[in-house]
Amino acid sequence: MFGSKVTALSFLFLLLLGFSNCESQTETTMHTNNWAVLVCTSRFWFNYRHMANTLSLYRTVKRLGIPDERIILMLADDMACNARNKYPAQVFNNENHKLNLYGDNVEVDYRGYEVTVENFFRVLTGRHENAVPRSKRLLSDEGSHILLYMTGHGGDEFLKFQDSEELQSHDLADAVKQMKEKRRFKELLIMVDTCQAATLFSQLQSPGALAIGSSMKGENSYSHHLDSDVGVSVVDRFTFYTLAFFEKLNMYDNASLTSLFGSYNPSMLMSTAYYRTDLYQRRLEEVPVTNFFGSVMETIHTDSAYRVLSRKESGSVEIKMSTEKSDHDKERLLLNSNDLDQIGELNTEDQRGNIECIWSTFHKELQKVKDVDSFVNYGLVIMLPLLTVSMWLSW
Amino acid sequence: MGESESENEAPKVKLRPIVRLGMFLISHSHLLSVVCCTAGVLTLLLLPLLAKNTYISENALMPGSANPMLSSQEVSEANGLVKDLTSLDLKRMASGIESQRLIAQYMSNLGAEVSFQKFYPQSNQFHPLHFFSSPDSATIRENISCSSYGLNTVGIIRAPRGDGKEAIVLVTPYNSEKIGLGEALSLGIAYSVFSLLTRVTWLAKDIIWVVADSKYGEYAAVDAWLRDYYIPVFSGLGIQNAEMCHGLEENTIRERNMRDGFKRAGTMAAALVIKVADRSEQFEDSLSIYAEASNGQMPNLDLINIVNYLAVHRQGLRIKVEKMWSLLNCKWLKILGEILESLGHLAKNLNPQWKFGIPAADYVEGTATLTSSLYYQALGIPTGPHGAFRDYQVDAVTLEISSRVSSNNKGRQNDFLLRGGRLIEGVIRSVNNLLEKFHQSFFLYLLTSPSKFLSVGVYMITFALLVSSLPMVAASLYAHANNLDPSFEKNESNHPASAADELGITLRSWKWLYAAKKVLVVHLWGAVVLLLPYFICQIPNCTPTTSFVVWVLLSIFSLLILFWILGSPFSYVYASQPQQREWALLKSVTISAAFIGLCLMSVINFATAEIGALLMVPMCLMAHPLKLDVKSRKLRNFSRVACNLALGFIGFPPTAFLVFKGVFEGFDGISVGDFWNWLESIWAWSSATYLYIGMIHLPCWILCIHVILHPC
Repeated sequence: MFGSKVTALSFLFLLLLGFSNCESQTETTMHTNNWAVLVCTSRFWFNYRHMANTLSLYRTVKRLGIPDERIILMLADDMACNARNKYPAQVFNNENHKLNLYGDNVEVDYRGYEVTVENFFRVLTGRHENAVPRSKRLLSDEGSHILLYMTGHGGDEFLKFQDSEELQSHDLADAVKQMKEKRRFKELLIMVDTCQAATLFSQLQSPGALAIGSSMKGENSYSHHLDSDVGVSVVDRFTFYTLAFFEKLNMYDNASLTSLFGSYNPSMLMSTAYYRTDLYQRRLEEVPVTNFFGSVMETIHTDSAYRVLSRKESGSVEIKMSTEKSDHDKERLLLNSNDLDQIGELNTEDQRGNIECIWSTFHKELQKVKDVDSFVNYGLVIMLPLLTVSMWLSW
Repeated sequence: MGESESENEAPKVKLRPIVRLGMFLISHSHLLSVVCCTAGVLTLLLLPLLAKNTYISENALMPGSANPMLSSQEVSEANGLVKDLTSLDLKRMASGIESQRLIAQYMSNLGAEVSFQKFYPQSNQFHPLHFFSSPDSATIRENISCSSYGLNTVGIIRAPRGDGKEAIVLVTPYNSEKIGLGEALSLGIAYSVFSLLTRVTWLAKDIIWVVADSKYGEYAAVDAWLRDYYIPVFSGLGIQNAEMCHGLEENTIRERNMRDGFKRAGTMAAALVIKVADRSEQFEDSLSIYAEASNGQMPNLDLINIVNYLAVHRQGLRIKVEKMWSLLNCKWLKILGEILESLGHLAKNLNPQWKFGIPAADYVEGTATLTSSLYYQALGIPTGPHGAFRDYQVDAVTLEISSRVSSNNKGRQNDFLLRGGRLIEGVIRSVNNLLEKFHQSFFLYLLTSPSKFLSVGVYMITFALLVSSLPMVAASLYAHANNLDPSFEKNESNHPASAADELGITLRSWKWLYAAKKVLVVHLWGAVVLLLPYFICQIPNCTPTTSFVVWVLLSIFSLLILFWILGSPFSYVYASQPQQREWALLKSVTISAAFIGLCLMSVINFATAEIGALLMVPMCLMAHPLKLDVKSRKLRNFSRVACNLALGFIGFPPTAFLVFKGVFEGFDGISVGDFWNWLESIWAWSSATYLYIGMIHLPCWILCIHVILHPC
């Protein structure tokens, strides 16, 4: 009885320790993969252009190297098969009709009424029902660069979904924060083409997020041109000029984000493109656009093919230490579960040794602690053994 | 009086603000009623200034965003149909069915589903119980002669990828016995659009083309088709009828097919009635829009907007809506317009942001259009076959296109067909984009020009101002009549009231019931007067004038009988009540009844209520016993007598009708029979205006006259 309590406590506390160790590592994780979440939020035939926007972006990121299984495409309505479409099963983003966006290889993950705020959050935060297939999940990790593109009708601090609900700026910020905490991304680029798009980013506070919107507060985003054959506007201005920028690129080009952001001309856009960089650590001039819109990254040579946690080895020395520690933890765990019914004496000794070990690591870590969060974590960690000891003494 | 009392009591008991406000209104009712009434009339005159530009409210419509696809190919096909139809007519062998066969042949060549619908003319008989009742399919058709029936030809295109739940209707009325060039052209326009639509890939709604046989009137044909469409006959009656008649005809297989298969598509999103005017315009091609349906119901403003937008900005047609032409030359209206224009300029000089001035010419035009808009809504008679659709909550308009020159010229005719066809195509494509019923824009509006409208929120103000004076005056009259006695008594004897006195007071406070009874009796009489034409109609060989005279005589007779049966309401008051209060109470109750009636009517048909209020409110407010005025012999009283007589004259429905008809159309050849004809048309279309005249206006007029002639 007594022994099991102690082991449980020590287990908890080892977990906490592991957690605090890992948190300091995320900043240094390598960029290892690219994901794209492309969302068209509006229904109805007269919003043809929003679907065309999204499909154009889909085509672009695919061309630049993000594979289909890493693109989550959400289309709120099916314009291609709308009875009003003069060209059945085809979607165009230009009145010259040269490029059919809805060709053979379009994989729509969420369509029609599946595109809801709830599902959007589930995709971002990864909290799905068990039955949801892997192809509909955003399986990113702490090494992912994610492109989140959204288009639809919006307003001051909201984006309308499906004509019935809305995504608000604080909802978006909350989802991004959850993603950050769950280490679902390394860097995130949010691109929004809607009226007053800039207002949607106002609540963001997670580091690593970069945001660009088609218009400032109080501005409208306009459509680029009307296809008088199909009878609807086919593309929005912001997306049109984004695509115009990317058409000139292939996946080996080294154009930076600055050149993309600088390419928006307010007089052509009829609105002011706004980007928010204060949460983003790197300098935009040094970041190639293919970091988000493509899937280009460094390759790292490793000695053995199947080494667990191998990517962490590229980090610095203290990370190596932590891997040793985690190995040690695993051993401890094993021991605990095997010797669950043994006498308390042995356990207490282990406990003591454990505490000493922790104290030494704590001293080391304390010197490196810079941010308050981890300091608080350490404070909690210190509280726990004190509590345990006092409980044990008073037993 | 009331004011002084409230002042006396105020220190003792602090009254609630609402009560004090009521007292204030009652005590100043004279001034306030005059102010409200004049403000009501003035705002009515200002309405053309307050009109807003129309705008397309529904995003989904997107009129004119697609290029028209109608080409000269379709037009040449349509020309073929027009030629065939006119040559049929020339050969004189077009015995009805021949032309329908031809059209059906043309339709089925396009691949449309064709069906015929046979209908029998319904007599326009007055049924007193048919007001507000839904169209009844099981109406017993008397005296159907098998040879006299109309035959509608209906072609349906199914949308290739649509869900088949919605449809757009095209209607072309034509007289199968004699096809004029205008009718042939309207068929040509519809055919060109129809043939285009069989080929396009963008249809989301089915297209129904109804070639309505207007032998018995355009409305009747469309109404018959709609009734069959929405209220299918499951009883054997209809089939029996058809079977009965069947023996007389040549019994071909095709005939049976067309009878069996009444084809339907989905619910109707909108309907367009296409007509081509036989008269030709002098300057340019133009398009007249008719929109008023029964009881002043209008189609959604968006439908008119898209027609207006496409006609003006795409096809370059001139748009016209109905106007009171005689108002255009009105001197005083022009002067008023100029005054308003200069006021607008003045306001603009003071503050550049105030923009309410419009040019005087626009003002006059706006007023003329507004007047006709009000009149046709008030009449409650549909202005075309589109009215039949409104009864089923389908938005519909009639488009009458008239060409510049009589189209003997081949090139001109082609151009005309092309423009007309492209307009219809554009409207259909726009409605095709619609996702739901028309609901975004207004249903309650008045037009002051094809592109300017007054919404319900604006025009309601004039009515509210006019009517608001009624309850104030009624309350003040009642208060006066009741307060006179108690104060008098209070001054005379300050001792505690005995039981008998209290009883007397209670009795006196209920004496308005006598007046109420009288008002009720008169209103009942109004209902009787309404029913009389039903019997008068049965009299054979009656000229309108004699019918009218008979009606008036019967009405007076029935009034006398009612008084005789229910006992003279005068007798009670003679015995017990001082006359002075009796007329005041009567006036008060009359005014209350008028107020309730007008408010009810404004819900059913606003335009009727507005015109009625213009006539009735001043009359009700002014009514004052002549005897009292004559006794006092002052200038003010004599002017009141004159006003009373004038308002009493104009308030009587027949005289009001004749005077307005005279003013607008000239006094030549006016007879009282015209009023009878007018009234007949109103009840034939079961317009609520008829009920209003009989149940509200006429009784109020009688009661006002009674007050004026009261023997004080």
